[in-house]
Amino acid sequence: MIQQYKGIAPKGDILLIQKLCEKLRGRCILNINSTRKGGGVAEILQRMTPLLKGLDIDARWEVIEGDDRFFDITKKIHNTLQGNMDMITEDMWDHHHAVNEANSRKIDLDADFVLIHDPQPIPLIEYRKRGFYVWRCHIDVSNPLPDIWQRLERYVRSYDCVIFSVSKFSKSLPVDEFIIPPAIDPLSDKNIELTEEEVKRTMDKLNVPMDKPILLQVSRFDVFKDPIGVINAYRRVKKYNDCRLVLAGSLATDDPEGTRVLNEVRDYAGNDPDIHILLLPPSAAREINALQRAATIVLQKSLKEGFGLTVSEAMWKEKPVVGGAVGGIPYQITHGVTGFLVYSVDGAAFRIRQLLNNPGMRKRIGQKAKEYVRRNFLITRQIRDYLSVWYFLENKGQKAIEL
Amino acid sequence: MARYSPKGRPSDKETPIQQIRPFEFKQCIAILKATGKKASTIRELRNGISEVSDECIFHHVYQYFLKGHILEYTNDFAQWTAHFLEERALAEQLSNLDPYMFHSIEDVRKELLRIIDTFLESFPEPRPVLAGNEFYFSEALTIVFPCGVKAKNLAEFLVAIKNVDAESIYYHFYEARMRLGGGVDDFSRWIEGSLRRKDLAERIRNIDPFMHNLDGIREQIAGFVEEDLRIEMEAP
Repeated sequence: MIQQYKGIAPKGDILLIQKLCEKLRGRCILNINSTRKGGGVAEILQRMTPLLKGLDIDARWEVIEGDDRFFDITKKIHNTLQGNMDMITEDMWDHHHAVNEANSRKIDLDADFVLIHDPQPIPLIEYRKRGFYVWRCHIDVSNPLPDIWQRLERYVRSYDCVIFSVSKFSKSLPVDEFIIPPAIDPLSDKNIELTEEEVKRTMDKLNVPMDKPILLQVSRFDVFKDPIGVINAYRRVKKYNDCRLVLAGSLATDDPEGTRVLNEVRDYAGNDPDIHILLLPPSAAREINALQRAATIVLQKSLKEGFGLTVSEAMWKEKPVVGGAVGGIPYQITHGVTGFLVYSVDGAAFRIRQLLNNPGMRKRIGQKAKEYVRRNFLITRQIRDYLSVWYFLENKGQKAIEL
Repeated sequence: MARYSPKGRPSDKETPIQQIRPFEFKQCIAILKATGKKASTIRELRNGISEVSDECIFHHVYQYFLKGHILEYTNDFAQWTAHFLEERALAEQLSNLDPYMFHSIEDVRKELLRIIDTFLESFPEPRPVLAGNEFYFSEALTIVFPCGVKAKNLAEFLVAIKNVDAESIYYHFYEARMRLGGGVDDFSRWIEGSLRRKDLAERIRNIDPFMHNLDGIREQIAGFVEEDLRIEMEAP
C-alpha cells in the first residue's frame, strides 16, 4: 500500500517509514478514538492501519462505544478545551470515566505502542497493560477553561508522552510533548486527482457556472469561519473584478448554531445570482474536491481556527489561498510565498484583487503551495512522525539516531 | 565576470576509479519537542535563550534551514523578533549571526544574549506580542538515514543531487558544518578529497549558506558541477 504513495510523497518519508517498520517489525500499534467515520482522525486511521499492516506491523484500530450522554459530555469537554464557557459536573466526569472503564473490558489494550486520540478515551490510561501510551491531542487547547484542563491533566500526566498539532497548543507538562501537525491524504476522495470532465460535471450538478473566476470558501456554517466577512470581501472585489462566490459547507449535527448562521448568510447574500451557498452532506468529499479544483482562489477567512486543513487541501490543488492569520493557518501559508495571510475584510479583498489581476502570481503561488504541502502536510509525513516517536520511546534518552 | 575554468581539474592525476570512496547520500528529519517555555516579550526571549538546552538553541538556529524555505531572516529568533515583535533592527542584528563561526553552542547562546542586551541598553523595550503569537522554545530529536543513493563519480553525483530530497541537501550542506567543523560541507569535502577537484570544491564551499533555500543550494551546486563536467567534456 505504501507503494501507492511513490511519486507523490517525498521519497525520504516513504523510505523512513519502511526503515522504521523494519526495526519495529512484528510489534503491535493500537490506535483508539471515538468514531469510525467522519473527521480527520478517522480518515487518517482508515489509511494508516492497513498501510502499517502491509509493512509487517501488527496495527489495530479500536473505537470506544458510549451512550448519547457520554458523547454530549465529551462534546462539552471538547468545546470547553477550546475556551467556550460550559460546565462539566462531577457526575458527568464520573460517567465519562465509567464509559471508559466499560470499554477497557471490551478492548484488548495489550500493545507495544498505544495512541489514544483526543479526550473521549483519555481515561483508558488507567487500564494500561504494557507498552508506551501516548495521548494524541488534535484540538486547540491553547486557551482552555482552566478547571477542565486541570481535570484532564491528571490523566495526561500518566501517559509516556503527549502529541500536539502545533507548538502553541503545547503546555508545560511533566511528560515529553511532541509536535506533529495533521495531514491530508492525497489519495482520498477529497484530494485525489480528478479529470476536467468530472470537475465540469460536478459544477453543473451544483449549478455553479464556470463562466467567470470563482472564489471559494469551504467550511462549516460557523461564525468563526466569518462567512459574512467573506461576502463583504467579495462585494468589495466585485466593484473592480467580476467573479462568483461559492460558500460550501455542511451543518454539524452537534452544532445547533449552524442553522442560524446559515440562515443569516442566506439573508445577507440576498438575491445576488453570483453568490452560491451550497449545503453539502459530510459525505460529499468528491464534490468538495471538484469545487476546490474549479476555484480560482480559495478563501479560509477564519477568525478562530484549529489547524484548518482545508487550507492544505486547496494548496495541494495548486490554488492560491487567502487565509485568516489564526490557529494553524500561518503554519501552512507563508505570506506572499505559498498564499496570503490576512487580518481583515479589507485585507482579504485586497489580496483577492491582487490575485485575480495577476495570473502569473496565482500560478507561482499555487505551485509553491502544492510543493509545500507535499513536503510537510501529507499523511506519509504524519505516519513517519508517529513511528519516529515510537522509535524514540524505545530508545529513550537518545536525541539523535542514525539508522 | 570571468569565465570559470577548473584549473584544479584532475586528469592523469585523478584518483583511480576503484579507489574512490562513493558518496553516500543521507538525509535527516527532525521531530519537534516542546520545552513548555514561551516568550511574549524581548526580555522573556532573552531569559529563555539563557536557560534553554543546547538542543533548543541548535534547533532554532541551525535547524532553521531544515524547514526548507528561507524566510526573510536566518534563524527563528530573528524571524519572530521581526514579524511578531516588529523590532526589525534587532531582527537584522540577530540575523547577521553566523552560527558556524562559533566553536560551541554555548558561544552562540552568548552572542545571541550579547546582541539582545546591547539592544535593550539602547532602545526602549518593545510591547509584548499579541496572545497566540508567543515564541515557543522547542527542541528536536533527529533521525539520520541513508537515501539509498550512492555516487561513484561526478556525473552520478550530478544526477543524484538533482533528485534527492531537500532534507539530504540540508544534511550534507548545513548539518555537516557542525559535524565536521570549520565551515566545511560534505559535498565539497568529497569532491576535493575523493575526486581531487579542488576548484569545484572551492566554488561549492563559497556558496553563502544564508542566502538561499535548500532548492537554491541544490541548483547552485548542480550548476557548478554541470559547468565543470561540460568544460571537461569540451576540453581538447
